[in-house]
Amino acid sequence: MRRLPVADPGLPDARSATRFLSWLIRRSRMTIVTAIALAVAWMGCQSLVPAMVGRAIDAAAAERGGALLGWALVLFVIGVVQALTGISRHRFATVNWLAAGFRTVQVTVRQANRLGSALPRRLDAGEAVAIGTSDITHIGGAVDVAARGTGALLAVATVTLLLLHTSVPLGLVVLLGVPALMAVVGGLIRPLHRRQQAYREQQARLTGQAADLVTGLRVLRGVGGEAVMVARYRAQSQALRAAGVRTASVESLLEAAQVLLPGTFLVLVTWLGARFAADGRITVGQLVSFYAYAAFLVSPLRQLTDSIDKLTRGHVSARRVVRMLTLPRVAAEPSGAARPRGGELADPESGVRVVPGRLTAIVARDPADAARVADRLGRYAGGATLGGVPLTDLPLAEVRERILVAENEARLFSGRLRADLDPYRSGRLAEALEAAAARDIVDGLPDGLDSEVVERGRSFSGGQQQRLRLVRALVADPEVLILVEPTNAVDAHTEARIAERLRAVRAGRTTVVCTSSPLVLGHTDRVLYLEHGRVVAAGTHHELLGSEPRYARVVLRQEQS
Amino acid sequence: MSPALPVAGRSQAWRYARSLFRRHPGMFRATVGLHLLAALAGLAGPRYLGDLVQAVQRGTFAAELNGLAAALAGFVLLQAVLTRFAYLASARLGEQVLAQLREEFIARVLTLPLGTVESAGTGDLLTRTTRDVDALSRCVRLAVPETMIALLTGGLVVVALVLVSPVLAAPLLVGVPITVAGTRWYVRRAPAGYLRQNAAYSEVTDGLTETVEGARTVEALGRQRQRVARTDRDLGRSWRAERYTLFLRTVWWPVIEVSYLLPMVLTLLTGGWLYLRGTVTLGQLTAAVVYVQQLIHPLDRLLSWLDELQVGAASLARLLGVTAAPHPPRPRAPRPDGTRIELRGVRFGYREGREVLHGVDLTLRPGERLAVVGPSGAGKSTLGRLLAGIHQPTEGSVTVGGVPLGALAPDRLRAEVALVSQEHHVFIGTLRDNLAMARPSAPEPDVRAALAAVRALQWADGLPNGLDTVVGEGAHPLTAAQAQQVALARLILADPHTLVLDEATALLDPRAARDLERSLAAVVRGRTVVAIAHRLFSAHDADRVAVVEDGRITELGSHDELVAANGPYAALWRSWQGRGEGPERPPDMARARPREDAPL
Repeated sequence: MRRLPVADPGLPDARSATRFLSWLIRRSRMTIVTAIALAVAWMGCQSLVPAMVGRAIDAAAAERGGALLGWALVLFVIGVVQALTGISRHRFATVNWLAAGFRTVQVTVRQANRLGSALPRRLDAGEAVAIGTSDITHIGGAVDVAARGTGALLAVATVTLLLLHTSVPLGLVVLLGVPALMAVVGGLIRPLHRRQQAYREQQARLTGQAADLVTGLRVLRGVGGEAVMVARYRAQSQALRAAGVRTASVESLLEAAQVLLPGTFLVLVTWLGARFAADGRITVGQLVSFYAYAAFLVSPLRQLTDSIDKLTRGHVSARRVVRMLTLPRVAAEPSGAARPRGGELADPESGVRVVPGRLTAIVARDPADAARVADRLGRYAGGATLGGVPLTDLPLAEVRERILVAENEARLFSGRLRADLDPYRSGRLAEALEAAAARDIVDGLPDGLDSEVVERGRSFSGGQQQRLRLVRALVADPEVLILVEPTNAVDAHTEARIAERLRAVRAGRTTVVCTSSPLVLGHTDRVLYLEHGRVVAAGTHHELLGSEPRYARVVLRQEQS
Repeated sequence: MSPALPVAGRSQAWRYARSLFRRHPGMFRATVGLHLLAALAGLAGPRYLGDLVQAVQRGTFAAELNGLAAALAGFVLLQAVLTRFAYLASARLGEQVLAQLREEFIARVLTLPLGTVESAGTGDLLTRTTRDVDALSRCVRLAVPETMIALLTGGLVVVALVLVSPVLAAPLLVGVPITVAGTRWYVRRAPAGYLRQNAAYSEVTDGLTETVEGARTVEALGRQRQRVARTDRDLGRSWRAERYTLFLRTVWWPVIEVSYLLPMVLTLLTGGWLYLRGTVTLGQLTAAVVYVQQLIHPLDRLLSWLDELQVGAASLARLLGVTAAPHPPRPRAPRPDGTRIELRGVRFGYREGREVLHGVDLTLRPGERLAVVGPSGAGKSTLGRLLAGIHQPTEGSVTVGGVPLGALAPDRLRAEVALVSQEHHVFIGTLRDNLAMARPSAPEPDVRAALAAVRALQWADGLPNGLDTVVGEGAHPLTAAQAQQVALARLILADPHTLVLDEATALLDPRAARDLERSLAAVVRGRTVVAIAHRLFSAHDADRVAVVEDGRITELGSHDELVAANGPYAALWRSWQGRGEGPERPPDMARARPREDAPL
């Protein structure tokens, strides 16, 4: 059996959803062809079982004991082959399913990496989540069902021939009747699917509400209101109950239809068959096997309708994946012509100039102005220059490697803490932990640096998350580090410690801090003060406190102007 | 490791499940009765088919055939009608039971002692609330009725077979040991295998979501290689989990199929032989073979739901475990005499052997504003939570008007003291719901006034539907700063005489924070306010400042007094102001000498 996932998923054919699906199918063609062959063999065995039972009964009716024994043995062998082909088919189907889903995940992750910071702007978060939660399943299902559907089609054809061989009129009744039956049941299923979908959504909302209550439990405990919340949950829960009963009333009709329609049809076939048998046109054994065939056909036909449904869903999902795979990067990459090292980073729009090797602070009356400057300095927006060359003229990979903008929105990744803080074992971790005053966070964890971090680092408090982000940025140790409000969620004592150590750990490297905390500003070499997005004053923290009253007001929060 | 929440025992889960159904005896009996009748009607088919074959063989008149066929059709119709009502009845019962179960569970969760939740971790409780409730719902909605139907139908088929011919029913026994042995082997392994498979799969999807949502961070930190490696590792794990369950099915399925096949072949042979000897009729033989084939369907149904039933039972046990967690004792307490909150010799630790507060004495003067400052991890937040009665001290006492906070009922307690912490949460619901949850009867002007007091009225009115905008996860998002304003507005509406604000404005930008604190101060004039803050301007504005270090109050007095005393607080203040000692020497709290209560 193949090993999954494959080391290299290859380059997907993302020209259309259909092409993407057939690319996935081509990639697994050997296992898919095997799955089809096994499905045919399996259904063939299934369809032979009624015939063998019929022959055996005929032999008994004809009082031929040897023939009865023979047919019974044939039945047993067919049954065993059916069991073996059935499970083999299932094994191959599972592999096909997983191979397609896994490959989709792999190409999606690689594309997300290629798009980087352009991705959130171009893809709605919900769509991205849908790829992970439902699209993989649907695409895997579509690839799997492509094999199963082919098998079902072949089985239906085989039974058709057998029936027509036995009795043409009776065969025709079955052949026309069964698809008509399936169509009717299929028509009933669609409205049911809609209701079930609505029910599931309502259920997900209720689950979401419950999760919301648990997540907010501590907040709730602080101000009270538990009784109100329980009452609200109860109301929603009762609404879901009512919706469940409504869905069930449609479901129950469908269940009844599934008894009534095939049942009536079987009665019709049996009645006709009995009359034919009474006339001597067919044997008693053939009558019994007719009954069984009509019943058997329901299963491959249901698989066929199911295949169409799954292929449709898979196609819709593939469309979404293809949309993501075809998102372009913002601009074409310049080929790296000019590569100045250690030049001065400047943002002409605001007048910010960053002296290499020093610790510069940016203070803005409106903190959003400082964040905009940081965005330009890190080439998340155009405008800044490095050593006189526009950043947009440099290869993006080089810019990212040299300049790191560390912001509070940066995501903490789940997994072991060490893997997120220091993925490539830089040897700087201990130093960075010390500088960010984050040692106590690690010490408080059950397994220290090997503890598991939950999604988004939610188990850490805001201040802890902030310090861990700082550790990560310090470990990365870029030529230019731009920190946006790195300490606004930690207490004054810790902030003072971080401010002092930051200076030491970044000694000789270029560092920019966007902040308004005097505890941090006191440790910087140079402060740039911005109003309305422009630098209006520059100097050391102490100089500006004395010379620039607007600055003093912002950082010391004295009386409002 | 932290102690997990308890899990109920098997017998307890079983008792509870029975008691749930027993609360609705009428519905339960109706459901079982209807399913039984439907299954009975379904058995008529093979019986009449046998009669038909018999009739054909005897060489009969068309009229008799027509009569038999009409009878067959009648039973089909009857079965369809009965199926409809049986299905509806079981859905009604199932939904009723489910709703009861989840409502009781949530009500219980909301009264859990916070200490229990925290020592077990919110994650565990969250899993139970979401995954276990969903798993149980699937079980009750699908597995339970399917199993019941399968058992009833299967049982009736066997009875019918025995009625047709006891001898022809005998071959069934051959299949029993094979089915039982194979299924036992499978069911012992399957639930754990599928749980692992699902867990591995959610890791894959979580990892993917994380990569996509965190794309900017991945790019900034150059983590592309790491993300690809992580994805492939998750996929590898998922593959191994899938292979294991595939192995289980590879063994189990063929075994079960053979256990269906053997009785069929044997019935055919025995029946044929008996027919040749003239002991059974051809009709009996035909009916018996069809019945044996008919047994496959319910058996398959029953077996395929077995692991789902097991998962459901495990989920139920986990849900009941929460219900079984110890209730806090709530003796009837006398009414507090006054609004003075006092801490006497308070010691407290979240875990055995790890004390956070080492003997704290503090008296809040009604109407004062007390600022609590100190380094991270010194116990400031813990002190706040004890003041708000969220935790009970392990030693010493926290009293309001002479009555221990722990003795007050929750609603009574919240009328005395409430807490807003740096942890903020916007509940899914309208903004109005979010505000009024502490006082549902609050009239419109009060709600608006509370929003105005936290400087939030303007943006609140600017929301798409104003105060009726649905906010929270998955709905209209609020920024962290807005969420914090909502939390404070809630507190104003709750209107307790003592407010504990733990970093309650930390997420606002500094200027807005100060604005808000001032306007808040005006609204809560006359109330006692304890402000735990890392921004020193809060301390400057306060009546008194308490410095907490290493689980003790080391300085207590007004801002001016503490600055004059030249202790750790003074050092920090000077550094904050950027004067005096200057930034090169940050305050060293550890060297500071603890002071007794400052003279007032």
